[in-house]
Amino acid sequence: MYHDGVLTAPTLQAWDLCRSFGTGEMRTDVLREVSIDLYPGQLALLMGPSGSGKSTLLAVLSGLLHPDSGRVTALNHDLWSMSERQREDFRLKHCGFVFQGYNLFPALTARQQLEMVLRWGNGAPAAEARDRADRLLGMLGLSRKADLRPTQLSGGEKQRVAVGRALIKDPTFVFADEPTAALDWKHGEQVVELLRNAAHDAGATILVVAHDARMIPHADRVFHLDDGVLVEGAERPLPMFAAAADVPAYEAL
Amino acid sequence: MSYALATLWYERARFFPGVLAVAFSALLIALQCGLLLGLFSIVSIPIDESQAHIWIAHPEVPSVDLGRPIPEAWLSYIAMPEIERVEPCVEGFGYWDKPTGGMELCLVIGTRVGPDAFGPVRRLTAEHRALLAQPGAIVVDEGEFGRLGITKIGDTTEIVGKQVRVVGTVTGLRSLAGPYVFCSYETARTILRPPPDQATFLLARCHNPADARAVVERVNKYHRKIMAMTAEDFSFRSRWHWLTKTKAGIALGLAALLGLMVGAVVTYQTLRSATTASLKEYAVLRALGIPRWRMMLMVLSQSFWVGLAGIAVAIPLIHLLAIVGNIGAKVILPWWLWVGAMAVTMTVALLSGLLALRTLRHVEPVTLLR
Repeated sequence: MYHDGVLTAPTLQAWDLCRSFGTGEMRTDVLREVSIDLYPGQLALLMGPSGSGKSTLLAVLSGLLHPDSGRVTALNHDLWSMSERQREDFRLKHCGFVFQGYNLFPALTARQQLEMVLRWGNGAPAAEARDRADRLLGMLGLSRKADLRPTQLSGGEKQRVAVGRALIKDPTFVFADEPTAALDWKHGEQVVELLRNAAHDAGATILVVAHDARMIPHADRVFHLDDGVLVEGAERPLPMFAAAADVPAYEAL
Repeated sequence: MSYALATLWYERARFFPGVLAVAFSALLIALQCGLLLGLFSIVSIPIDESQAHIWIAHPEVPSVDLGRPIPEAWLSYIAMPEIERVEPCVEGFGYWDKPTGGMELCLVIGTRVGPDAFGPVRRLTAEHRALLAQPGAIVVDEGEFGRLGITKIGDTTEIVGKQVRVVGTVTGLRSLAGPYVFCSYETARTILRPPPDQATFLLARCHNPADARAVVERVNKYHRKIMAMTAEDFSFRSRWHWLTKTKAGIALGLAALLGLMVGAVVTYQTLRSATTASLKEYAVLRALGIPRWRMMLMVLSQSFWVGLAGIAVAIPLIHLLAIVGNIGAKVILPWWLWVGAMAVTMTVALLSGLLALRTLRHVEPVTLLR
């Protein structure tokens, strides 16, 4: 694929991923032979109705959930042939995560939530971790909120801190699961823009799971997952999303 | 400030029961042991209050109140250059005839009472000593008046049929078993009637107190049938005997253990609830690849801070309750008891932290993906 006129190789590739839950009659196939390529510098949006397997795919691609079959390579490493410890180490070096809930430590300030990742993850010295946290908080527009705890922050601010926690270590990959679900669109848009900037400016590979169609214009690529089958978005008719500017598309359906 | 400490402070309402439980444990251990030490220090009063450096006794004597007759001639065994002087002491239980009716067992302690004698307890004044030289003169603790059925100095009564007269009183020398009756060696012999030429103990004083141990070792090495002890050793032996014989130590020990268990359970519950409340946050960190031991360290640090806070709360309370306790009983809190009680309490807090680590097993990043 060409990116800014330069041929780049995918940083994350998956082939024929299958994953089911339950056994016997209760068995549900959540992923059916899903293959996907993700490129650096792009924000890929993974959409689909509730229960379509979006989060499961994100979990399998990010090394959190073992697929039943299929392969995932990230930076040319076969993710699921690694040991648990190696995978953990890979996530430590390369992956950032944003989840639907903010999941911030109630006792810690915005700055501490970010510092903690550097100090505990990379063993960074306190001063360095603090500098980097402050710099990133500045970029997130949270300079004046650095010393505030989650209860003193709005929902949008909290999710920006959570995004900061994912970005603080300059990850190669960022996986975000419904990062805007708890936010109104104004704040949701800010969060998506932050993730998009991380892709475009820092060259990160970003995968965002969402069911809010208003995000589509912000994405470089759009994938749809329906009943465990993945289709790239360009092949889907988009006008209906564009028409429903204020209503999340899948909720409208 | 560490993240653990920041969490402890911010969520102090959550951690408060744990801190209180640790404080309660520390308090219970320190005061129970302090009371025990205070209780049994009473047993060794005749040794601790005397100015003798060395005590010679029958080898089977377990405690100062359970002396056995030994030949006075044994004093030749201890005739060494380091020894300044040797004095005999007669000691034994006798029935005190209460003027108000009934009997009371008392411990008669007879020593030399001359102005330069070193056997008597320190609290006997020169005046007491002069008065005690009279036959049948005794001194008792004024706190024992009720037990002895007397009301004032000058009262007379009989011990095992021998007339005695109270010529003075002391304070702070109340006993655990029978009241102490201090008198001269001769008066004690008249009351207790030991075999001729026999005493209960031989007390020795060294020119230099530091020589006592060497002298004791030498005496014991060459004379197997007698037992020589430094005053400190005999004091400890007496207290230890009472501690083990009466099993009071076990009872108080069990109470302290119970306190520790309550402390451990409450601290564990506190830490567990704090950890459970943060499981999602920990799960995010796990997703980010942060190793589990970091979170374990966080929980253990919290248990450490809970322990430290508990101890900080306990210290003034222990001081306060020891003062209150000293009104009715005796609480002895040597530095090693403080250190020991705090160390045991901290260990229990940390063990609770170790137990609470099991909660971290539930940290699974994939559960954050819904």
